[in-house]
Amino acid sequence: MSSVVLASVSLENVLVIGALLFSIGLYVSLSKRNAVGILMGVELMLNAVNVTFLAFSRYVESPRPLDGQVFAMFVIAIAAAEAAVALALAVAVYRHRETVNIDEIDLLRW
Amino acid sequence: MLQDLDRLGPVLAVLVAAGLIVLADLVVPRRREKWLAGVALLGLAASAAWMVQLIARDRQASYFSDSMALDDFTIFFTFLFIGVAGAVLLASLEYVERFGSHKGEFFALVLVATAGMMLLAGSRDLVAIFVALELTSITQFILAGFLRDDRGSEAAIKYLLLGAISSAVVLYGMAFLFGIAGTTRLVATDGGASIAGAIAAGDSGIRSALLVSMVFLAAGFGFKMSIVPFQMWTPDVYQGSPTPVAALLSVGSKAAAFAVVLRVFFEGFGADTFVGEDWKMMFAVLAAVSMTVGNVMALRQTNVRRLLGYSSIAQAGNFLVGLAAISSTSDGTALGASGVVFFIATYAFTNLGAFFAVMAIGNRTGSDEIEDYAGIARRSPLAALVLTICLLSLTGLPPTAGFWAKMYIFNAGMRADLVWLVMIAVLNTVVSAFYYLGLARQMYRGDGEPGEDLRPALTTQAVLVAAAAGVCVFFVYPIPLIEAAQRAVHAFA
Amino acid sequence: MIDDAGVVVAFWVIAVSTVVCALMVAAVRNLVHAVLFLALTFVGVAGIYIVLAADFVALVQVLIYAGAVGVLMTFAIMLTPAADRRNSETIFQAPAAVLAGLVLAIVTFVAYDTEWRISGRDAFPATAASLGEAFLKPYVVPFEVVSVLLMTAMIGAIVLTREEGDDV
Repeated sequence: MSSVVLASVSLENVLVIGALLFSIGLYVSLSKRNAVGILMGVELMLNAVNVTFLAFSRYVESPRPLDGQVFAMFVIAIAAAEAAVALALAVAVYRHRETVNIDEIDLLRW
Repeated sequence: MLQDLDRLGPVLAVLVAAGLIVLADLVVPRRREKWLAGVALLGLAASAAWMVQLIARDRQASYFSDSMALDDFTIFFTFLFIGVAGAVLLASLEYVERFGSHKGEFFALVLVATAGMMLLAGSRDLVAIFVALELTSITQFILAGFLRDDRGSEAAIKYLLLGAISSAVVLYGMAFLFGIAGTTRLVATDGGASIAGAIAAGDSGIRSALLVSMVFLAAGFGFKMSIVPFQMWTPDVYQGSPTPVAALLSVGSKAAAFAVVLRVFFEGFGADTFVGEDWKMMFAVLAAVSMTVGNVMALRQTNVRRLLGYSSIAQAGNFLVGLAAISSTSDGTALGASGVVFFIATYAFTNLGAFFAVMAIGNRTGSDEIEDYAGIARRSPLAALVLTICLLSLTGLPPTAGFWAKMYIFNAGMRADLVWLVMIAVLNTVVSAFYYLGLARQMYRGDGEPGEDLRPALTTQAVLVAAAAGVCVFFVYPIPLIEAAQRAVHAFA
Repeated sequence: MIDDAGVVVAFWVIAVSTVVCALMVAAVRNLVHAVLFLALTFVGVAGIYIVLAADFVALVQVLIYAGAVGVLMTFAIMLTPAADRRNSETIFQAPAAVLAGLVLAIVTFVAYDTEWRISGRDAFPATAASLGEAFLKPYVVPFEVVSVLLMTAMIGAIVLTREEGDDV
């Protein structure tokens, strides 16, 4: 049985790899203290999403199968913009508090 | 192509104004930067005018290969966002002094956020929805940190990180929708593949994937709607960000989120399909939890802006009652959906009025603590009166538009056999009366320091009067607004 | 269906090492090391894209993610020198782990439970040209909106980081 499963890469296999990456990203983004650490988790989640999009784009019946790839490109572009703004804000917070740990910047409650 | 571009005109006008402001900012001397707000208002006026003539020429259609829709729903929300942005710009004229040399950028970013919301209401393709959502969100992350002080930066980075997580969750839901339907279009006017079509076909083999994508989408959009349990950012951001930005977030961003949820769930998933009951039930539960948590937390607040933050969570719960009650009645004007739209419109007037009053008072006293509001009515009678009217409207008491909004949406709930939910909502209204009316009473208490006169600037006074007038006028004569809301959701029937 | 023996082996090698790298991002105790593992994860994901016949997206992934975003994150760490470099967790560690495990279990179940409408189509030929066409035809509005978004992010980053007192 296992040899049959391993003889090809199925849609389900790729989806599970995506799910693994997504849950690791979710864990990282919800559990880390450092703002940059949280952002790394988010990037992992976005990569998982893109793996999922490309898997569907490759396997699923569709009038325009490349749409999944187009979507992935939009995700990449926007993730870069978001990361840039996040860096700017991290620097702004650091300037006031000398930390980017979100559970230490507690003027406002987390 | 040109015709499609014509339909995008209202958005383009706003973006062009934003671009002009950024360029003009380079040459305009610093003390005249305030006048750039005039350019912003002109851009909004041009956008409204363009929309009016689009309606006059009967240009409603699905355009750009079904990625955008110009229907009554888009039109309703476009006018709403133009109004909200205009009010925010006018009311911020005094506040912008705190932004130093960045007043021009502030006006431009408010316009970009508005354009993002307009696009969001008009998108019917997952890619377009996602991009518009991010345009709105990223702009708001920047605006939230615009003061660059301790609190603002902190609030902004929390808002950004949680927002980024929620975007990733929305995207995961969208990816599964794409996998189910093989397309990103919600509806296809040319009869091709679409998400609505794939769901309407009712193939039970896709049920589990549909449910999981539904949950991811609701979780991600729930963040933007600020409903429990995705509300953690709301009080912090309302307290930490500049007040005009908080006003924009609490009204514009929330309205845009509900608009896109109506699009995706009502138009995409559909009310009568085999998952219709599932998502209605999900929103019913979220509604009950949001209202209760929001109201109970609001009771303990000592800061007006945090109080308004929790109040907005509770109000989002009220909107959700309408979503849960969506049904396709015979005359096609789904009572629940039009209830959501009508409620959002009255809430826009009400909450803008409340935030502007808080801003007018805060500009003068430098405090947002409830205890400092004692006797404020004698020092700033106009702001206190407007805030009181708005608080009455948020509670849902006459003589305010909020009264009809609550009646309408509770009626929709009863018609949809959600008696338990309406009971919870009524109980919550009673709870909310404690803190809303408590704040109002605080302002009229006699023992406050007489102190100096705190009259707000002329523009702020004008916006305050306009908001309060809107709240009262739509109590006396709510029919046009209700009809507009019903026409708006009729676009989905 | 992907069943070429070499590709299948490559997929599993890449997939396993990518997931291991992602786990290391969560596990290592030094933030700088975490960024390095993150960049490795990005490269691994690009490998998965190639298996899925997305050559152009894989290229963009390496350029933007492994390149630009990786550098951006290193900058973020280097520009905050006095900040804590430990890659430590908040008190939400346990609930986060439970939630992540739940998501993994549910999505895995859904992946196998759903009857996906599989097509028997061959791998895409080179995709760059068709992608370009998609950007400028059906997706022209989102494409233009993204350009506005990048511009806005740039203006925002400048405003947010400019020191008080610098003037134009």
